This record gives sequence, C-alpha cells and structure tokens, in this order.
Amino acid sequence: MGWGAVDLLPFFEWMETNLLGQIGKSYGGVYAVGQSLHLMSLAMIGGTVLVTDLRLLNVVLRDVPSEVVVDNAHKWFKLALTIILATGIFMASAVAIRMYHNPFFWAKMFSLFVGIVFVFAIKRPLLRGKHSDISPLVLRTVAVASLMLWFTVAATGRWIGFS
Amino acid sequence: MLNQVLLDFAEWLDSQSWSSALHESYYMYNWVESTHVLTLMIFLGMLFVIDLRMLGLTMTNIPASIVARRLNRPMVLGFSVMFITGLLLYYAVPVRTTQSIWFRIKFVLLIAAGLNAWLFHRRMNQAVASWDNDPVAPKPLRYGAALSLTLWAGVVTTGRLIAYDWYDCYRDNSELIAWAAGCMSE
Repeated sequence: MGWGAVDLLPFFEWMETNLLGQIGKSYGGVYAVGQSLHLMSLAMIGGTVLVTDLRLLNVVLRDVPSEVVVDNAHKWFKLALTIILATGIFMASAVAIRMYHNPFFWAKMFSLFVGIVFVFAIKRPLLRGKHSDISPLVLRTVAVASLMLWFTVAATGRWIGFS
Repeated sequence: MLNQVLLDFAEWLDSQSWSSALHESYYMYNWVESTHVLTLMIFLGMLFVIDLRMLGLTMTNIPASIVARRLNRPMVLGFSVMFITGLLLYYAVPVRTTQSIWFRIKFVLLIAAGLNAWLFHRRMNQAVASWDNDPVAPKPLRYGAALSLTLWAGVVTTGRLIAYDWYDCYRDNSELIAWAAGCMSE
C-alpha cells in the first residue's frame, strides 16, 4: 500500500524500529498515557469544531458574534491538532507495520489530511473576515462539511482498534 | 462485604443472555464503544470551552455566564449518551470491569467530578452578576475549573486503562492492588 507507485512499507518498518516505536512497544504505561492525551486532544478538537460549526449553523451561542467564537476556537483547535498529531505519530510508531496493513488507518489518514486541508485552505481563510459579508448558505455548507469531515476522522480512528 | 455484593451483582448481570450477546456482537459492541468515545468529544469538548473561559483563556470578551449557559445543553446531551453507553459497556463485561482497579478509580473520579460540577454551578449562580464581564472568573471558580479539567483528564486516562490487563485479578498482584481492585474471583 502507498501513494501511487511509492510503497511505504519500508518507511513503516523503519517507524517501528526507531526510538519512538521502541519506547511505545517497551513501555505500556507510556503508550497508554499517549493514548489518553490523544483522546483528550480529540475531545478538544471535537469541542472547538462543534462550537464553531454549531455557531455558524445558529444552534449555540447565537447571542455571541460568530467571528469571536470562530477566532477563539481556532487557537485551541491548532493546539489540540498539534498534540493529536504528535501522540498519533507516537502511537502509530509502536504498531507501524500493523497500521500499514489496516484499511481503517489509511481511511483515517486520508480523512485527516482532507480535514486539515479543509480547515487551513478553505474554512480559515473564508471565516477570517466579517461573516455578515458571506452568504448564510456558504457558512452553513462549510459548517456541515466540517462536522462531517471531523466526525469521519474520529470514527475511522476509533475503528482502527476494532479491525 | 461490599466487594462480595458488587461481585454477586456483576455475576447476575453476566448470567443474562443480553450481556453476553452484547459482548459477543462485533458490530453492536464496537458501535456502543465508538459512540461512548465520540460523545466524549461533545461532552468534554463543551466542558473544555466552559472551563477555559472561567480560567480566562478563551472568549474573554464574552460574559462567562453566557458561555456556560449556552453550552450547558449540548454538554448535558453529550454526557447523557456517554453515560448510557458507559452503562452498556459495563453491562457487556460486568465481572472483569467490577474487579478492575482502573474502573474503580474512574468511578471515584467521576463522583468527585460530579460534586465539583455541582459546587461550581452553585458558586457561579450565587454572584455571577458581579464578575460576569471580567475576563477571568474569581479564584474559587478558577480552582473549580482547573479541578474539573484535572478530574476529567483522570477519568479519560483511567477509562482508557480499563482495556489493559496489567492488574487483572488473575495476575500475581500485591495485596494493596488486589484489595483496591476488590479481587474475589478470577
């Protein structure tokens, strides 16, 4: 498996043998703490995405300007994303070869990639200005797309453990 | 005495056909577990935003009571689904879970988090008008928010650790661990 003609198996084999992979394999407690931090940052991503998107859909915090909600949530989203990526790399390193053969791992990586591109290339540039200048339909479409994307990231991530 | 009562109850649940059916159902069990984790995003996500506002770390130009009250409903909704799916997960594996040291610590932390939330809301509602527009909440509420974040971090961590069998009763545990886990049978 890999992107196009590039087989990524050697990279995954290297991940499992490097220091990070060895720490994750040898110290169950450290691995579990990594999992726990991963879950908490997932919750924070969930919170920031939900608050932002439900505000754009006029479901919560309707009496608060949406610009304020979006800007504040984005700061914490970036922090949570950094932690989730760091802990995710650590966790995947310990079981890298198994991950390489797991279709849900690839589904998650793909949806995560799309999610990150969506946030930084579409959602953030669009929402940086005054929201009253943007069509309500566009705002709602962005919110629904964002909710669906991040739900997919979380759900495929959870299913990695079951397959 | 208490451990025996808890174990008897767990064994009674375990003897029910629905308990083993749920445990053995690949899709149903995994759906319940996934829903439990995904609703954590709703509940804990909202809690993070409220606590961070109290600590003066987000939305400081919005009255604290507005953030807390508006996000309370989705937070309670998330908690309700998380609680129900949590009960179902316990129902599916009752004997091992009852004798899990991590589950027991998680239970104590959950009660502590519940008490802290009750105290927090009481304090918040008492004199909210006097500090509502301040970027940072008064000290007791800040402590309450920090404690809330710490306790829930503990709940998430111990919840995750239930899956590990390091201290399961069939292992050669120290007396303290065996006592804390309430080991009565393997």
